[in-house]
Amino acid sequence: MGTILIIAAYGVYAAFWIRFFLHALLWWKAVAGPAAIAGSPPLSVKACALSARDVVLFWRLLKVNPALWLGEWVFHASFLIVALRHLRYFFPIVPEWVWWFQTPGLIAGYVLPLSLIYILLVRRFSDQEKYSSPANMTLLAVLLIISSLGLLMATLYRADIVMVKLFIQGILCFSPAAAPDDILFLLHFSLVLVLIPLLPTHILTAPLVMLEAEKRELALPLVMHEK
Amino acid sequence: MKNKRSFTEELSPKQVLEIDACTQCGECLKHCPVQDVTNNPAVSPPEKIRMFREFIRSTDGLKAKLFGGAEADRKRLEDFTKAVYECTTCGACGQNCPVGIFTQRLWPTLRKEMVKRGLGPIGVQANLPKVITNSGNPYDKPAGDRYQPWFPVNVKVAERAGIGYYAGCTGAYEAQPMVRGDVLVLNAIGTPFTMLPPEEEVCCGFPLFITGQHDELEGLVKRLVAGYEARGVKTLVCSCPCCVNIMSRDWPAFYGKELPFTIRHITQFVASAIKEGKLRITKELRETVIYHDPCYLSRGVGVIEEPRDVLGSIPGVKVIEFERHGLNSRCCGSGGAARKVFHDNAIKMGRQTIDEAVKKKADRLILGCPACYAKVNEAMQGHDKQIKITDIMELVSGLLGERT
Repeated sequence: MGTILIIAAYGVYAAFWIRFFLHALLWWKAVAGPAAIAGSPPLSVKACALSARDVVLFWRLLKVNPALWLGEWVFHASFLIVALRHLRYFFPIVPEWVWWFQTPGLIAGYVLPLSLIYILLVRRFSDQEKYSSPANMTLLAVLLIISSLGLLMATLYRADIVMVKLFIQGILCFSPAAAPDDILFLLHFSLVLVLIPLLPTHILTAPLVMLEAEKRELALPLVMHEK
Repeated sequence: MKNKRSFTEELSPKQVLEIDACTQCGECLKHCPVQDVTNNPAVSPPEKIRMFREFIRSTDGLKAKLFGGAEADRKRLEDFTKAVYECTTCGACGQNCPVGIFTQRLWPTLRKEMVKRGLGPIGVQANLPKVITNSGNPYDKPAGDRYQPWFPVNVKVAERAGIGYYAGCTGAYEAQPMVRGDVLVLNAIGTPFTMLPPEEEVCCGFPLFITGQHDELEGLVKRLVAGYEARGVKTLVCSCPCCVNIMSRDWPAFYGKELPFTIRHITQFVASAIKEGKLRITKELRETVIYHDPCYLSRGVGVIEEPRDVLGSIPGVKVIEFERHGLNSRCCGSGGAARKVFHDNAIKMGRQTIDEAVKKKADRLILGCPACYAKVNEAMQGHDKQIKITDIMELVSGLLGERT
């Protein structure tokens, strides 16, 4: 089982980076390429600031659906904190700043599955919701299982974190170690390997689209008015 | 083998990025007028993007690059083509997109891709290039009828002037009270204005652009620009939001350089004239009016305040708003060249506009677009709710006093 997971981890890792570089290429082409309309406005500090607000606070979603925004923002924030907490498994010597995220990460570990359940409920029961992408629903379900398993391991059924760290370090250093003999961990880890290829690529491309949108919106009043 | 052509050829790199960036959240559907009347998820923006992603993957994905592209399924391509042409291209989806995808421009580009593949356009839209080449307008009407039925006899048009007026095909042939109103108001302002002769005032190119048929565009644009330039035009005034949109957004690209004149919507020109004291609306109108923002004027080019300024300058008038107005206005159903092909959808959307105006107890529905004017009037025929429908310049021209 451990060997299969290690091989799968390398495969997923390689595929992730190929995907990342293909998207980096897409970014580069988009930045260098022409806009969809003539006379695309130049980059400005204001556009950058507004798009940073869009990316960090999901401002555009807040404007159109505050109920969903609450769940999505809390989910993304708690996911980030939980991911940062997990960095302790990736550094041979854990830097101090990673320790700062241990307690917040544990709290975020409780919030994360709750936020996912909230998102699923908003999507399922809101009268206004007309469209649910099957891919998004699958992703939410996988995330919910992963986060619930993680929470179980952090609270009720503690995993041997020394074994976990040795296993992860073994993968990172190309010196595979035995996988922990813990069914919850094995499931958790396997599902993370399933999750990575399912991660939507908009994580990589949406920020640039948001920047373009801010540039376009700032320029709209100038299209037909004196510059 | 034709279908193995890359699906991204007509898209700008930024549009490829936009297609990738769609989160499939479905927020846009709450604002899609076509969804409102069809309830068909296949025509929804995220579904169209999802399908197009599949097409891109079939020719440009890693697997396709390594092992050769697969031919996209013909039936799926046809379904997609129908969906992308059923859209009114109002852009409300993009306005409410949590990522900010510029859909008002993306859908016409996808249509262009479908045209290049021999799948678009749909129905009568396919005749547009031939009809416009032969008659100069998309309605296949004689040039002699372009001005004659509605042009006021007492209005004088200068041979050369700094101000040019472009009536537009839909106004001239399908919304004549509107263009008549334009000309009467321009005349009342008193600044000389010029027009091209009817056989020279050809289509602005918007119907071709919006249906993805771009081959004839450059010729039309160059012909029109040369005509106005020869008459000394420095400001070209037009009341059709679609014409204004393509003139300001795309004419420079087809012309190959910056235009030798500025483009102004008639409400901008009239609002300025009122402000400068060149035009005074003296007659009182004790009515509550509701103004519908044309999608290509508000979301398209950002003209939102001037129509309200003009209406606000009418003594006695109370202006009220639709729930969705300004940048968030709801399409009346006539956009995107879909009204002639998906007639039932357009009628239903037009009736939604009428219903809301009636519900808000407006005495009059004010429009500022010839396509809206033609379709909403058509939608009211046989409808259980009735309201006076008037174009903004038609209204103003009937309330004018002496020139100051």
